[in-house]
Amino acid sequence: MYDFLIFTITIAGIYAIMALGLNVLAGYGGLLNFGHIAFAGIGVYATGIAHARGWPVLVGIPLGMIAAMILGWAMARLGRRLAADYWGIATLAVAEILRTVALNEDELTGGANGITGIPGLFESVASPWDQVYFSAVVLGIVAVTAFFSARLGDGRFGRALRLMREQPALAACMGYNLQKIKSHAIMCGGAITALAGSLYAHYFNFAGTEFMLAAETFVLWTMVMIGGMGRTAGVLLGVILVQAVYAFVPFLRDLLGFGSDVAGALRLGLIGAILLICLLWRREGLLPEKLRNPA
Amino acid sequence: MKKRHFLTLCASTLLVGNLASSAWAQETISLGAVLPLTGPSATVGEDIRRGIQLGVEHVNANGGVLGKKLQVIVEDSGNNPTTALTAARKLATVDRVPAVLGEYSSSITLPMAQYLVKENIVHFNIGSSSNKVRELGASAFNIIGLEAAGNLFAAKDVYALGHRNLALIAPNNAYGQGVAHGFTEEFEKLGGKITAQILYTGGQSTYRRELQQLARAKPDAFLYTAYGHESAVINREAKELGLRNVPWYAYIMSMSVSDTPADIAEGQIGMELGTAQGDLGKAYEDTFKAKFKEGFKTAFNGYGYDGVLMLAAAIEQGKGATPAQIIAGLKAVSEAGFTGVTGPIKLDDEGQRIDPPYDRLKYEGGKLVQR
Amino acid sequence: MLQFLVDALLRTADLALITLGLSMLYGLIRFPNIAHVQYAMCGAFLAYAINSAGAPLIVSVVLASILTGLLTLVIQLLVFDRLLKSGPAIAMIGSLAVSMVLVASVLGIAGSFPHMFSLPHTEPLIIGDARISHTQLWFVLTTLVLLTLFVLLLFHTQVGRAMRALACNPALADASGLNASRITNGVTFISGMLAGLGGSMLSLSTGAHVNLGYDLLLPVFAAAILGGLGNPIGAVAGAALIALTETAVTNINFGPLLGETLVFLPVSYISAASFLILLLALLFKPYGLFDREVRRV
Repeated sequence: MYDFLIFTITIAGIYAIMALGLNVLAGYGGLLNFGHIAFAGIGVYATGIAHARGWPVLVGIPLGMIAAMILGWAMARLGRRLAADYWGIATLAVAEILRTVALNEDELTGGANGITGIPGLFESVASPWDQVYFSAVVLGIVAVTAFFSARLGDGRFGRALRLMREQPALAACMGYNLQKIKSHAIMCGGAITALAGSLYAHYFNFAGTEFMLAAETFVLWTMVMIGGMGRTAGVLLGVILVQAVYAFVPFLRDLLGFGSDVAGALRLGLIGAILLICLLWRREGLLPEKLRNPA
Repeated sequence: MKKRHFLTLCASTLLVGNLASSAWAQETISLGAVLPLTGPSATVGEDIRRGIQLGVEHVNANGGVLGKKLQVIVEDSGNNPTTALTAARKLATVDRVPAVLGEYSSSITLPMAQYLVKENIVHFNIGSSSNKVRELGASAFNIIGLEAAGNLFAAKDVYALGHRNLALIAPNNAYGQGVAHGFTEEFEKLGGKITAQILYTGGQSTYRRELQQLARAKPDAFLYTAYGHESAVINREAKELGLRNVPWYAYIMSMSVSDTPADIAEGQIGMELGTAQGDLGKAYEDTFKAKFKEGFKTAFNGYGYDGVLMLAAAIEQGKGATPAQIIAGLKAVSEAGFTGVTGPIKLDDEGQRIDPPYDRLKYEGGKLVQR
Repeated sequence: MLQFLVDALLRTADLALITLGLSMLYGLIRFPNIAHVQYAMCGAFLAYAINSAGAPLIVSVVLASILTGLLTLVIQLLVFDRLLKSGPAIAMIGSLAVSMVLVASVLGIAGSFPHMFSLPHTEPLIIGDARISHTQLWFVLTTLVLLTLFVLLLFHTQVGRAMRALACNPALADASGLNASRITNGVTFISGMLAGLGGSMLSLSTGAHVNLGYDLLLPVFAAAILGGLGNPIGAVAGAALIALTETAVTNINFGPLLGETLVFLPVSYISAASFLILLLALLFKPYGLFDREVRRV
């Protein structure tokens, strides 16, 4: 029983790291990246490929982060001439292309079967302590990332991002290189999410493509938007709420005895409905961004 | 406020669930099953579930297991490995089952079984045919024919029917790759040729392009294997494209025509895992029809039934329901000789069934008949 | 060769109506509505439901399209009009939420099994070495007729002129006395109708399934953007281009280049091909291939 609780907490933690990554570029920077899950996918497969090739598997983590940063830089360049919503669709397309490649390149990624047998982080430790340690590591990383994200938000870079988001013309006038800021934001957010992806691969001992569906980016967006874009505590709240729904519905199903299709529909529908309600009534999210009041 | 309410609700549900399940535990022995109840293989998943249900009813009608009631907790794999892994985790850690049956698709069974074996839980395969199932480990058992046997049987059958140049289409996953690779090997050993081969990606709503690529090879027969809904699309479009003027051979026929309308499936030939055999099989089939008001939809339900009965017998033999006792029990049951509805079941040293049965079938008059 | 053209034509028909609806509406409301393809999915299920209840096929399709148009209008008024006040980005995220709710509702009510229409089974027509089924033929013909009607509406009627004027310059159009909100509502309704029509006709061949909308998302957006948003003829041209690329890419036999008899590109790469085209187009011609889009980028 407690194993499952630890399981839920660990998964929530991994998603929290991903959402914090998205928050850097979407929350602070207002960049509509609808293909963000591609970064997580890169992390997952970096670890998977490292394992399949026989390299020390922890190498996958920095590899994934570097690859994510390269992709982030490329995505930022793509956005140079595009308006925000066009760019959103372009990023969706990029994520889909990557997923198609992962699905077909059997040699590299194991194709539709994925890569199995990826070792967890504490293989030598007896059950159930390996799960507990993993959970502790994940929560630790969440704490560090949250701290880092909050500091970033309050610091010079964060302020520049917000300015770019709200008044891009003014930011340009003040001498900020918008393209560079955008680029850095995306690379940073992407690397964080890639780290979470690697953790995911270690946790499930499996790297597959189902994870890279665009639907997963939407889950991340929901987490960021419900909680409050641009505020670290808000993002974490969003993660907890969404995970609660995700974990709650199967138990509800067991209690009330409805079918799996309805359970799947309920999860999706609840998340969508919550997001919609938030957008209509509390656009800034449940914990709105704390902007400094002019003195 | 909202957050606290949510968490309280979650916590209380978990607590209630825990209490309820521990109360149950005194009176029942629980096993687990992970099946594709949703997705393209939903028809097969439901069919296997029915077999399992009949197995449980049979066991309980005959005194249960070690004097207690038997129950099998069935979880949906949603046709993807991550959901299956989560389901297996839940069965292992929340329901604490000593054995899990399933899944169905090899790409899902393999990672799930690897997890179960790592946790020293018995994995009982009743649906996947990848050769890798053999290598899963000490607590993994299997009663269904694996690819190696299936490919050999199919290759010989197709060759005997006189076809020499085939086009092959199979799903792009562990199962399909295994079939494509293995069948090609066996068929070429006999002297035939595979002139074109496509591994299709699941979940598409049209396969026209794949079929047209295959047609360019001008084969004298098509060998295909596909999951329920996808195969319904493939069959329909093959007919529309006029590719049915050459014979279509279905590998694992009941799966491949499970959702295909009768008029389109008419005239196909194929091979299948042995379904209900002998007197026991006949009696089982009658019970099945009486209970569910329709016949078998696929060949797999019998394996679900036999799986449940064999595990129950193993628990009786091993005098306990821990994984270790079940493993010892299964070995003993196999030694003593077990006859299921799919025929006599004997396991080798690696826990795999020796000489699994196969049938030759054709689709005629709206259903599958023996050839 | 003929089969190749037939396939490209069929794929164009799959995409054209939905793309047209999206493009027209985008020109007016100025945000990418991700839920648009889900309207097509709803249209498909509505048509199936009405048909199963006993109505003849044509009536079901027409009724489903009208209902979808109404659904689109209602969602536009209740949800998107409010969200648009906060900007197109928020509206886009809102459309994402609406998509989820629509898919969840259909999934919960109808399940994940594709629902096939029970059509009379007829042999396909054979023209030369190409084959086309009756259903598909009707689909293509209906699409052509509807497209022609729509172009006539847009370019040769008062209403059409009003729509184009509003798309070009809302303030001026409003000032010249055109009732902006009435026209926008009208266009919303028509766009929803087109989506519903496209979706239900598509589902005659493939069955009504929950992923119908999602499968169309990227190709439809690619086609709409390629054609230039707000440009109706461009939308159809964009759809044709995407369809042609997809069909060509999988029909080319690379065998001779690699010294074997038959080598094809795996079919799953065709979606990647369309998106690649979209990306290239966005990089080099962001206003659409014909450079006649309503300037907003």
